[in-house]
Amino acid sequence: MTGRAGDALTYMGAALVAVFFAAPFVWLLSLSLRTPAEVYLGASRLIPEAPTWGNFATILRDPAFAIYLWNGVKLAASGAALAVVLAVPAGYACSRIDFRAKPAVMLGILAVQMVSPLVILIPLYAWIDRIGLLDTDLAVIAVYGAIGLPLSVWLLKASFDAIPIEIEEVAAIDGASRAQILTRITLPLAAPGLASAFILTMIMNWSQFLVPFILLESDANWPISVAIFNFAGSTSASTTQILAAACIVAVIPAVAVFVALQRIIVSALIDGAVKG
Amino acid sequence: MRRASPTPGDAPALPWLMPALAMLALFYAVPVLDVLRLAFSDATLIRPATEVSTRAVAAVLSNPALPQVLGTTALFTLASVIALQGVGLAIALLIVRGERRGLRGMTALRTLVLAAWVVPGIANGLIWQILFSEAPYGGLNSLLGSVGLGPVAWLSDPQMALVSAVIANTWQGAAFSMIVFYAALRAIDPVIYEAAEVDGARAFTVLTRITLPLLRGAVLVNSVLVTVQTLNTFDAILALTGGGPGRATEVLALFTFNTVFYNLDLAGGSALAILLFALAMALALVLWVTLGRRDMRA
Amino acid sequence: MIRPILAALVALTPALPAVAQDLITRNRVGPEDAEKSLSFRLTAFDLYSSDPATREGFEALFTDFIEAHPGWRIDTQLSTGNIGQEQARLLQQTQAGRGPDCAMIDSSQIALFRDTGVLQPMNAVFDAAAVDDLFPYVRDAVIDAEGNVLAWWWFTDLRVLYRDTRLVPEAPQTWEEAQAAGLAAAGQGSEGFLFNGGRWEGTAFDWLANFWAQGGRLVDDAGAPVFAEGDNRARMLIALEYVKGLVDSGAAPSRVTAITDYDAFNAAAAAGSAAMFVGGNWQYGQLRQTLPPEDFAAWEVSELPGPTADQRATGAGGWSIGALSDDPEKIEMCALIARDIYAGAGNALQGLLPTSAGIYDDYDVYAGPEYDLFAAALENGRARPGAAIYPEISNQIQIMLGDVLSGSATPEEALDAAATAVQAAYDRR
Repeated sequence: MTGRAGDALTYMGAALVAVFFAAPFVWLLSLSLRTPAEVYLGASRLIPEAPTWGNFATILRDPAFAIYLWNGVKLAASGAALAVVLAVPAGYACSRIDFRAKPAVMLGILAVQMVSPLVILIPLYAWIDRIGLLDTDLAVIAVYGAIGLPLSVWLLKASFDAIPIEIEEVAAIDGASRAQILTRITLPLAAPGLASAFILTMIMNWSQFLVPFILLESDANWPISVAIFNFAGSTSASTTQILAAACIVAVIPAVAVFVALQRIIVSALIDGAVKG
Repeated sequence: MRRASPTPGDAPALPWLMPALAMLALFYAVPVLDVLRLAFSDATLIRPATEVSTRAVAAVLSNPALPQVLGTTALFTLASVIALQGVGLAIALLIVRGERRGLRGMTALRTLVLAAWVVPGIANGLIWQILFSEAPYGGLNSLLGSVGLGPVAWLSDPQMALVSAVIANTWQGAAFSMIVFYAALRAIDPVIYEAAEVDGARAFTVLTRITLPLLRGAVLVNSVLVTVQTLNTFDAILALTGGGPGRATEVLALFTFNTVFYNLDLAGGSALAILLFALAMALALVLWVTLGRRDMRA
Repeated sequence: MIRPILAALVALTPALPAVAQDLITRNRVGPEDAEKSLSFRLTAFDLYSSDPATREGFEALFTDFIEAHPGWRIDTQLSTGNIGQEQARLLQQTQAGRGPDCAMIDSSQIALFRDTGVLQPMNAVFDAAAVDDLFPYVRDAVIDAEGNVLAWWWFTDLRVLYRDTRLVPEAPQTWEEAQAAGLAAAGQGSEGFLFNGGRWEGTAFDWLANFWAQGGRLVDDAGAPVFAEGDNRARMLIALEYVKGLVDSGAAPSRVTAITDYDAFNAAAAAGSAAMFVGGNWQYGQLRQTLPPEDFAAWEVSELPGPTADQRATGAGGWSIGALSDDPEKIEMCALIARDIYAGAGNALQGLLPTSAGIYDDYDVYAGPEYDLFAAALENGRARPGAAIYPEISNQIQIMLGDVLSGSATPEEALDAAATAVQAAYDRR
């Protein structure tokens, strides 16, 4: 099934997916364009009678909002970079070196992700307080590094596994050390895997609420995932329309990073194909 | 176990693993071990532990609600893992095919799916309350009504509420599987497909005989990661139903949340966290053994 | 990639209007170099509200306050809307000695903070006369056995019955009348009677009025659960049968088990689908804002119906301010913030219900007829019990109502399950 018929089917599938994933955004957009008076109409009206961009203006005019976004990007990207950097040697060892404890090590690393973050929260607060890092970016980045490790190790192992061992064996015969093989040959080939591990850990960090919430005390350090609550709620006036606008704007930086990094996945492969 | 490297042996592995292990030890090991200590104590959020006891563990295991919660967790996890991976794989296949054929709009589609993943959790409540609203003007029910279907009791019917929770969770989480499968698909050598095309293989045959076997590693890794994540998921459910009606959508992670934050029972919550941990570990092992039998280098 | 986007965003940002710039910033009120400081954790509902009118009003109040107290600076910390996690964080911070000096605490949590011993008495600011002027249920919650003022509950709220007079002309006074009115309205194509029935705190609190109206008690004087024993058990079952009857008869739609938000009632009122609902007093203003004037005129509020016309109760909540520092000067500042900014002026600014009868006469906003009804209904106001077990009781009541209303369990089964679970949780303390 090649050619036109296949393309038509692909488009139909894409349209279905697009409708499913876009519908919730349509409602969120609808809320974000409403005046306070229309917010309480909830589901009973999709298209606002008096749409306004004012809610977006309110968000963008608030200097704190840009700071929250920047904090979010800074913490999420640094934490993801830390996790990926630490995961490279570990993932490589799990893929290329035979050692007896490997299944135990891999499951042990994964076990970190299995402990409910809800419960860890309270001992974590006490521990970070003890080592004197409460209310610092460093604490959040380090914890992100630890939380992102299992995912990165597993994904990198899988992508190292997919690289033919013969390529490395040729280099080993030429006298290259293992570290040289890793940095010169394997890593460039594993670029798509590295990029997807970075994207995934970064985005998981971006949505993290509990860790920064408990470790960062001052509002000025908060990432958007925590600070977004500032735009929620009021006892007497509706701010739902502003919250909805804030949610939409908060999506943009993470999406931008994703779009930029996806190019790496694609272009690395094209390079590889040309060389191969 | 076949020899996978030019220099096999136990000794060289440790230096490679050190950075990761040191990081985990320094920033995560102490709190994780603390959870173990707390499970065997009488600690609450108000009062630190004063004794070592197994009462919290016993109370958790003998809780009459536990069987129902575990059943709900099993159903929710199974359905979510299948839906998340199925939808993620389908989208990845669509996009890869579209890109190979040079079709337009594939980047936009990919970005849209991802955007669902990065929407702040607080938006979930706003969105799904409206979509699943069972009022005469509810989002989905109006849509169904316009083509003569429904109305569906999305959230007020105990069974349907669990289905709705899986739908909302799939919307939010499918991007993860999509990215993993997309990277794996892009890593498959196009030469293989060209060869299949020359042989005149049908699309379905290509999918089942070539693509899926080559994705085996990605499916294994993704199944394990998605299962662990799903077991720990509760915010989508919290925003949607709060666990109700009754306990109909109360999964173990949400039950743990309620134990800690409603009941302030830190010891009980820690015991539940260990139960959750044991379940995740058991599932990961089962997946590893069944999916990874052949051809995995682990 | 990101920096240019942010830079563009910042560039789009016009200069802020120069209102009280020097005195109020995102994290402080008062001069930066003031010699004394008080850290104050507040919600995003007032000084930092996204609603411009509310924010400007509170900026003025805070400015007046800080000018009246030279040498002081208030370091503000925002709390998020996640009440459960916020409370856990505040407890952890307080125990680690890193908590704020002064904090906004939900009225339902005063008992919890009292039991942890972190609340410092504010007796220096609130004298016996001020305390006597509080509504009885408010006074009981904030005063300890020795007569100390442990927190200042600065606004309250309550549940009332809203009805569309075009469908329900007369206010139902009893449960029987309410069911009949709901059925009659449903017969005309309306959804009938709406109330919270989903899994959240509002469901338990709204419904408890039916239990309290019969004289029921959730806990005894020692704070132990007694809601499923003796007469209380019968009262629980009667109150369960009442709401079950509403759904089974069709006076209320089965979708009530999915309602976990008061805003759902506003939407139903705006769409014209509901005839009656159990809502909060704050929704009156929201309806006025949302409905066309001619529709709004048709909506009226009345006291929640009771088993008989003279057995009434309504749940009353709200927020309080408590001092967590042990420095007497800071405790006094904290109490003054509660008295001079929030109680009274802050109430009036937002149209929130004061906790002292006297304040209603001081401000014009309370002149509307709805406030007469609210004030009268507050005579039957009931706070959540000041027992640390309450959150779990509420949790179990939510499960019980969900199971009964969706037909998953009989009232007896559901009540027994709730009683067992609460008792087990209580025994573990």
